[in-house]
Amino acid sequence: MNRTILVIDDSESIREVITVGLQSSGYNVIKGINGADGLEQLRQSQGIDLVITDLNMPVMDGISFVKEVRKDANYRFLPIIVLTTESQETKKQEAREAGATAWIIKPFSKEKLVNVIKKIVR
Amino acid sequence: MKLTYIEEANELLANLEISLLALENNSSDKTCIEEIFRVMHTLKGNSSMFGLPVITDFVHDLETIYDKVRSGEMELNKELIDCSFLCLDHIKVIIYDADLENVVNKENHFELLKKIGGFIEEAGSISVNEKKESQAVRTVYVLFEPSAKIFDNGTNPLFLVSELASMGNSKVVPHFKLSENQAHDECFTYWEIFIETDRSENEIRDVFVFVEDNAEIFIKELPFKNVLKNKHFNDLVSKNMYGDVGTNMEELVHLLSDQQNNEPVADAKKEVVIETDVSEAGAIHSNKKVSKEVKEKGATSIRVSSDKLDELMNLVSELVTTQAGLTLFTAKNKTPELETISENVEKLTRRLRDTAFGMTLVPINNMFGRFQRMVRDISSSLGKEVEFVTEGGETELDKTIIETLTDPLMHILRNSLDHGIEKAADRVTKGKSPGGKLILKSFYSGVFVYIQIIDDGKGINVETIRDKAISKGIIKSTDNLSDKEILDLIFYAGFSTAEKITDVSGRGVGMDVVKRNIADLRGNILVESEVNVGTTLTIKLPLTLSIIDGLLVTVDKVNYIIPLSVITKCYSVKNEDMANNFNRLLTLDGEQVPYINLREEFGYTVQGSGETLLIAVNNGDRVVGITVDMIIGEYQAVIKPLGRHHKKQDFVSGASILGDGTIALVLDTNKVIDLYTNNIKREEKTWQLN
Repeated sequence: MNRTILVIDDSESIREVITVGLQSSGYNVIKGINGADGLEQLRQSQGIDLVITDLNMPVMDGISFVKEVRKDANYRFLPIIVLTTESQETKKQEAREAGATAWIIKPFSKEKLVNVIKKIVR
Repeated sequence: MKLTYIEEANELLANLEISLLALENNSSDKTCIEEIFRVMHTLKGNSSMFGLPVITDFVHDLETIYDKVRSGEMELNKELIDCSFLCLDHIKVIIYDADLENVVNKENHFELLKKIGGFIEEAGSISVNEKKESQAVRTVYVLFEPSAKIFDNGTNPLFLVSELASMGNSKVVPHFKLSENQAHDECFTYWEIFIETDRSENEIRDVFVFVEDNAEIFIKELPFKNVLKNKHFNDLVSKNMYGDVGTNMEELVHLLSDQQNNEPVADAKKEVVIETDVSEAGAIHSNKKVSKEVKEKGATSIRVSSDKLDELMNLVSELVTTQAGLTLFTAKNKTPELETISENVEKLTRRLRDTAFGMTLVPINNMFGRFQRMVRDISSSLGKEVEFVTEGGETELDKTIIETLTDPLMHILRNSLDHGIEKAADRVTKGKSPGGKLILKSFYSGVFVYIQIIDDGKGINVETIRDKAISKGIIKSTDNLSDKEILDLIFYAGFSTAEKITDVSGRGVGMDVVKRNIADLRGNILVESEVNVGTTLTIKLPLTLSIIDGLLVTVDKVNYIIPLSVITKCYSVKNEDMANNFNRLLTLDGEQVPYINLREEFGYTVQGSGETLLIAVNNGDRVVGITVDMIIGEYQAVIKPLGRHHKKQDFVSGASILGDGTIALVLDTNKVIDLYTNNIKREEKTWQLN
């Protein structure tokens, strides 16, 4: 069964790059442009297996998004991967405490992304 | 957004440059390599985040090289460092041209990529060999015990177990530790996994990278092979499957060593526990330390745009002016309450001023870093060996001063390298070491910052300067000048002693421009030189530009401010003593002091009797007296530049608005003294006009 992944990033180019990479690896992709939009997408679309979200975004940032998702009983155990940069070591910790499942340090290759996803959803 | 990127990138590149230079001096310095790697990595991350694939890929390749250097797979050599510098310069350019629209950039880009590729390939041939020497297959025991709350992070521990199990032949033994009121949403399972694998311990640990702080993980190599199909082994480890008791290692080891005739192995389980306890504790400890450091770092500095700082400085300046008005008003209207308030406001204003100034100060180090690179490039292009030493980089100066200072300093350094320090062969014949030494140092003294450029080159020949100055008509052959005065001639416009113009010096900036730039900063430059020993240039600068503590004085009802920093003492002198004084010397405190009578010089009537006030000010290494009519008192002067029409009057460095709205001129005492005492200077002025 093809897994469905929600990709949230405010940068269109990054969203596209990730989308293309995931689709070519056989995943379905739904996109969100910020945390708030991501929540909306999550509630509207059924059967999302994994969320990949950026941290720095307008309207609602990644950390708040993770917190919001965890508050919702339906998504308490939904795997969430956050995208961080190396300089955001504290952010990583913060995301972890908010309930993120894993993190990927930017920049990353498609292989690395898929490897991490495979650790989390099958 | 893009601006943030460029700003950060420039900062990173500056760091990179410093580290590269340090690395060049000490190629075994591991911390430098780490730093370089870290900076490149961050730069790559930033570039990728901003969607700049060209830069990302470029930095990635460069990073690959340093990763190999870091791991010892590749050796650091001069070629590599030179190449790194080229790449650094290139990145500086392409952060503004990320799509390589400029053809030259494009060509450079691919040329450099090829070069980098060459390095990587070179290293690749070595690294392949090393890869083959990976670990042999052995049995590894892994205990994976997720915390009860692991599901809350969306982690499915089963995937991790299966990922681990896929690393080789494996035996997975799950255990349950059910409590009485087991919550349905908590994890109560832990696993013991035996795998026969050739993967390293790090690779195994990597599987659990996202759950490290959410699970207990013990990894231990077992001292036996090919046991997974062994019946006794399977019986033993399966005995407690689904129970809350882990495998008894002692028993296992005992059993298997009997079986395999292995040497008896000591209590493995115990060892496991001790080892992991220590490493775990260490890991937690270091993690905490790291995050704490990061936090502290985050709190110690924030980025503020310089516009905001300028605005703050402007407001503080206005406040200082307004406060002066308040003080004046208070003095006129004696109300006790008002006086207290006014005094407090004055005190607070002063503190606010000092704090605001502190913010605009930046360490001079940044600028020094840039010079490192320049000196390196120039000395190698001139074929000279030069050791460049910087001292006192932590000295802080107003950022505008640092900006203005960069060009003059660069020019001076170039001069020192080009004309000062001799070629190695010449140095040896003079009995000096073949490598020259160039020192750039800065330090505080009082309210001034000194910057010195010291070289141990051939020095400046006073006679050569004198002859040149005469032939150029700057001085007359009959002029009797001290060595110091002659050396000062190098700062005059149109004076250049360079025998020939090389591409290093002779870029159209003369020492006169240097001097003017420094004078614009209300600074001073002094030159000392000894033939064949070296030259020292000393630049003296005020800490800040816009507000000074001054002494408010009047000369014929006009207000003037003399910076407190130059004043040594105030005297009262008799006008009779000055009336018929032709050599313009007064005896003060038993010493003869030259003086300038401002009334006379400014063209007012000179009083023949009574007393007048004389302010003794420092002028280089001597003291000169300046007469004024009245001393009003100390005053915090906000210096505003003069209008266009008065720009040429360089004995006035600016003007300040007093509390009552009138204007006071800020005197630059050094210029006043130059203007009214030194005959050569006067002649130079007419010479310039012609």
